[in-house]
Amino acid sequence: MSLSQRHLALILITPGLVLVAALFLYPLCFSLISAFSKDGSFTLEWFAKAFELYSTDMVFTVVIVVTSCALTALAAIVIAGTLTLGENRYIVGTLRALYRWPLFIPFIVAAQCMRTFLAKNGLMNNSFVSLGLIEPLQAVSFLDWRGIIATFVWKQTPFVALLLAGALASIDRATLEAGRNLGASRLRVLIELALPQVMQTLLVALVLSFVTMLSVLSVPLMVSGSQPTMLTVDMAFRINAYGDYATANALGVITYLISAGAAILYLRRGLSQEAPR
Amino acid sequence: MRILTIACSLAALMAASPLSAQTLNVASAGDQNMVDYVKDFLGPMFEKANPGVKVVSVGTGAGDSGSQKIFEKLDAQKGSATTDFDVVVIHQKAAGQMVKDGLLDKYTANVPTAKLATGEAAKNALGTDVSGYVIPMFQSQTALAYNADMVKTPPSTFAELADWAKKNPKQFGYNGIKGGMSGVSFVAGWVYAFGGDAEKLMKGPYDAATKTTWDKAFADLKEFNKNATITPGNAGTLDMLNRGEIAIGPVWVDMFYSWQADGKLPPNMKLKLISPGMPGQPMYYAVPAKAGQKKLAEAFIALATSPQVQADGIVKKFNWYPGIDASHLEGKLDKAAWDKLFVDVTPADLAKNGKAFPIAPYFNDILEGYEKKVAN
Repeated sequence: MSLSQRHLALILITPGLVLVAALFLYPLCFSLISAFSKDGSFTLEWFAKAFELYSTDMVFTVVIVVTSCALTALAAIVIAGTLTLGENRYIVGTLRALYRWPLFIPFIVAAQCMRTFLAKNGLMNNSFVSLGLIEPLQAVSFLDWRGIIATFVWKQTPFVALLLAGALASIDRATLEAGRNLGASRLRVLIELALPQVMQTLLVALVLSFVTMLSVLSVPLMVSGSQPTMLTVDMAFRINAYGDYATANALGVITYLISAGAAILYLRRGLSQEAPR
Repeated sequence: MRILTIACSLAALMAASPLSAQTLNVASAGDQNMVDYVKDFLGPMFEKANPGVKVVSVGTGAGDSGSQKIFEKLDAQKGSATTDFDVVVIHQKAAGQMVKDGLLDKYTANVPTAKLATGEAAKNALGTDVSGYVIPMFQSQTALAYNADMVKTPPSTFAELADWAKKNPKQFGYNGIKGGMSGVSFVAGWVYAFGGDAEKLMKGPYDAATKTTWDKAFADLKEFNKNATITPGNAGTLDMLNRGEIAIGPVWVDMFYSWQADGKLPPNMKLKLISPGMPGQPMYYAVPAKAGQKKLAEAFIALATSPQVQADGIVKKFNWYPGIDASHLEGKLDKAAWDKLFVDVTPADLAKNGKAFPIAPYFNDILEGYEKKVAN
């Protein structure tokens, strides 16, 4: 008796499916139900509470994550563009060796580094002072929303740059060369010829970064004070201080909707690009 | 009487010692120093006295959240025969909840040193009667730390502090309520100072209407926050004090002295417990209702709350105030070690301005009121 291909495949994926169901789907459904119910009946009370207490933080979270994404995209384009179109061997070589490093550093370590780097009397300001760029009294602490953005951008840029550089390397060099031959500057070749061809990859990388940044707890907790703060901190606080899972779950659903928003933007763009073809 | 005490503890030790080759699991909420205290100090001492016993120390995290994790674990193991923890070190808020939910063992009658802890904290945890279920491990207090070079005449009341902060923008720093208990303590102190009846908040009875009378206090605090720096956590406040970025901030007294002893704070830092006062709180030793090693757990707590260990470990090593009554530490501690604790915050200050946290329902109202009216 032998198993058919189909059965074998089913058996092989069963452990994976069970894991996904037990560790992801079950808790997800549980959270959704808890966010929308009180004593077994449907309610929006937890959402009302979430908005009453944390509306500022919701706006703050979106602004932080969107700004970080924009800056990450910019930095990644500069790095990937230099790697692909750069003509100075040394610059390209050094950059290639260096740019991936932050990928291997966990968020929590990055946050701790930034705490000492960006503080008022931290490494950055002290360096500026000793270089004579600023006076000691002019030094300001960046340990607030700017610190969160700096950490996010620093941490996510290599990820986006890695994907982007890969995509740029695989596009047809002939078009780029043609552009150069016709007298376009490298910047213009990058923006008008290369980038449009890899826009899809850039968007995928940015959507993934968006979701990652939305879910980080350590960075806002460690880098900035708590007012305002990101929704992850509020969720942790709801659970830790009050044991209030319902409101925390409501905040989770709101976070989920925000990230779904990013996904929808991405999908709509993807569809509209494919439609005319 | 004393002989009886010693006999009791010996009996407890002897009852426990034949149980060799066993593991005692101790879970501590609180900062890493609490875990290390059990691992490096208490554990080896207990293992030596009880050959064959191994003490395992785990930490569940700082602040009330650490206690919340212990609560959830015990709650989840309600149905099983034994829990994973034999001794738990918990905060007041969780202790009350655990007693109410029947998760703790009424064990203190079996521990002779329980008689040495007669303070209010041994009986009452934020309004819940916990007598019989807990023995305080230590008592800690929050106070304002200030840089004596930058602040010549520190404010001595909350009202003076508010004035001072207005004149010195961004020079006062605290961690809000999400970054650790010193900030929570400051906010509770603010409500005690400006919210009306502080006694009622600490002693009850709870009246849900009371929170509406805090609107003015919260509005003022929101205004005050504009001139304050929000720091990331208890350690964050000390960090910023150390770097001279802020001049005043609320801190835990024990952390303050430990940091100063380690050279992480300059010597020109001082403490002040301003009026009408700021809350402090104990940590408790408790035994879960379904602990597997109850006898060992009781012996362990008897050792941990004995006067000598309280003197050497709690006061000398960690700069906490003792969990048992301080009078029992007489003769166990040299004067220098004792006085060090009371340099800036004198026993008189402590008696007058060392407050308890509000009872649990008011406590939650204050935190939520802060989130609603101050932070949002």
